[in-house]
Amino acid sequence: MPEKIDGKSIFSLYEVSRSIQKTLGERYSSSFWVKAEMNKLNYYKHSGHCYPELVEKKDGSVIAQIRANLWRADYIRINDRFLQLLKEPLKDGIKILFEARISFDPVHGLALWIMDIDPAFTLGDLEAEKLETIRRLREEGVYSRNKMHTMPLLPQRIAVISVETSKGWADFGKVLHGNDWNYTFFCYLFPSLLQGDQAASAIIRQLNRIRKVKDHFDVVAIIRGGGGDVGLSCYNNYVLARAIALFPLPVITGIGHATNETVSEMVAFSNAITPTKLAEYLIQQFHNFSVPVQEAERRITEWAQRKIVSEKDKVQSLIRSFRYLAENTVRLHYSEIRNLSGSLKQEVKFRMKYEKDNLQVSRQVIGKSAGNLCRQAGSAITNCAAHIRKDSQKQLVHHNLIVRQLQQKLSVHSRLAVKEKLLLLKNVEKNIDNMNPVNVLKRGYSITLRNGKAVRSGDEVNPGDIIHTTVLSGSITSIVQQSIKPDHETET
Amino acid sequence: MKPKLSYTDAFEELQSIVSDIEQGEISVDELSEKVKRAAELIRICKNKLSATEEDVNTILKELDTAPDEEE
Repeated sequence: MPEKIDGKSIFSLYEVSRSIQKTLGERYSSSFWVKAEMNKLNYYKHSGHCYPELVEKKDGSVIAQIRANLWRADYIRINDRFLQLLKEPLKDGIKILFEARISFDPVHGLALWIMDIDPAFTLGDLEAEKLETIRRLREEGVYSRNKMHTMPLLPQRIAVISVETSKGWADFGKVLHGNDWNYTFFCYLFPSLLQGDQAASAIIRQLNRIRKVKDHFDVVAIIRGGGGDVGLSCYNNYVLARAIALFPLPVITGIGHATNETVSEMVAFSNAITPTKLAEYLIQQFHNFSVPVQEAERRITEWAQRKIVSEKDKVQSLIRSFRYLAENTVRLHYSEIRNLSGSLKQEVKFRMKYEKDNLQVSRQVIGKSAGNLCRQAGSAITNCAAHIRKDSQKQLVHHNLIVRQLQQKLSVHSRLAVKEKLLLLKNVEKNIDNMNPVNVLKRGYSITLRNGKAVRSGDEVNPGDIIHTTVLSGSITSIVQQSIKPDHETET
Repeated sequence: MKPKLSYTDAFEELQSIVSDIEQGEISVDELSEKVKRAAELIRICKNKLSATEEDVNTILKELDTAPDEEE
């Protein structure tokens, strides 16, 4: 009961706490279901109790926060159910649907007393996270990126992300190095946590280290095993799955569990499930290389041997054919030659006889022909002689006649010619006679001379000159009284 | 010295020889040469199956010295 001091009712802290406890107890008399995010589990190993930190966030900010109590027995029971159903323990950062009562303790204050947790709700939430990771990777177009790599023909150099002491790593090495075919692998371990909350970032760190030396490796193998099938939800982590998808080398996984495939395994180049299977997968790659090589060796050997045998056979058969053909040909030619020589002898004999006959006939023909020819020639010559004689007489007579005719013509013509010439001569004589000056003088003409020269023009004489004029009988000497000169030219 | 033949090239060349042979494209003249080549390729391939040349020390050195490379 409160004390009364100066009219004030004063409660002790315990009384207030008790009051709150009572009020809350009356108000929240029964349990109820609450959903919240378990930010921290706050498991205390020593006591086995958990004091989870529950929050509700809106747009990234905490809008409610209450501490909770999860007592040891409840924790063990609930955790077992989680491991069974989710393959995940109760852990930080999961969403839970739980049955609780309000608990108020005067010493420890307000808390939610967790009586039960529904693993199906958390499972759904984890499943949702996985789906969200897948969705984001697909949306970014990186989901299938690692599968697009080409696995080298011989994935011989393996960067292994595992735990050195794990059973998975041991199994992997045993299968890989103990193979019956003397296949050699080179493995280099990049140690990492492989399950639980820290695994995702640890694996990413090792992937980044491998990236630095990626040229030394053909493939990355993530190997886990022997740690139980719990704590694998880290492989659905968006950042890890993305790092695997975008890794520059093929990533193969052997995480070893029986539950649904995680996103990391889905985006990996290949998921072999267990470390043993992964080792067998790599050996199979070697087989894929080795078997064709062996097969090639077998086929080439077989083929080469077959080819040699077949070529030998061909040559043998050719030799046989050749020998047969050669012999046949020789035989054939031999008999042909024999036949030919027979024919030739016969032909020669026949020919000789024929030619002899021909010769005989020719001789006779020639004899006869020669006689004939001689006779013909003789008669031709005789003919010719007769002809010549006849012709020459005829010619002689003919020519005589011509000569006689010509003689007659000559005498007639010569007489005529002489007569003609005589006539011509008489005319000329008459003309010449006419020209005689005596005859001229007879007709009354006279000739005047001066100094012995005939005067033909008046200007040849001058008055006083003595001139002599000749007439038919006698001459006259006279003195010139006057001379008349021609007007212009000399008068003739 | 001839550049070293990668096992991928060796493997492919071997396959092509086998395919040539099976399609009858190799004459008896080429026989000896091809078989010799095939034997060499087979040797390279088989060697590769049973030997590796990676050196741990080189990897360790590069891990220490190479700059961090982000995706």
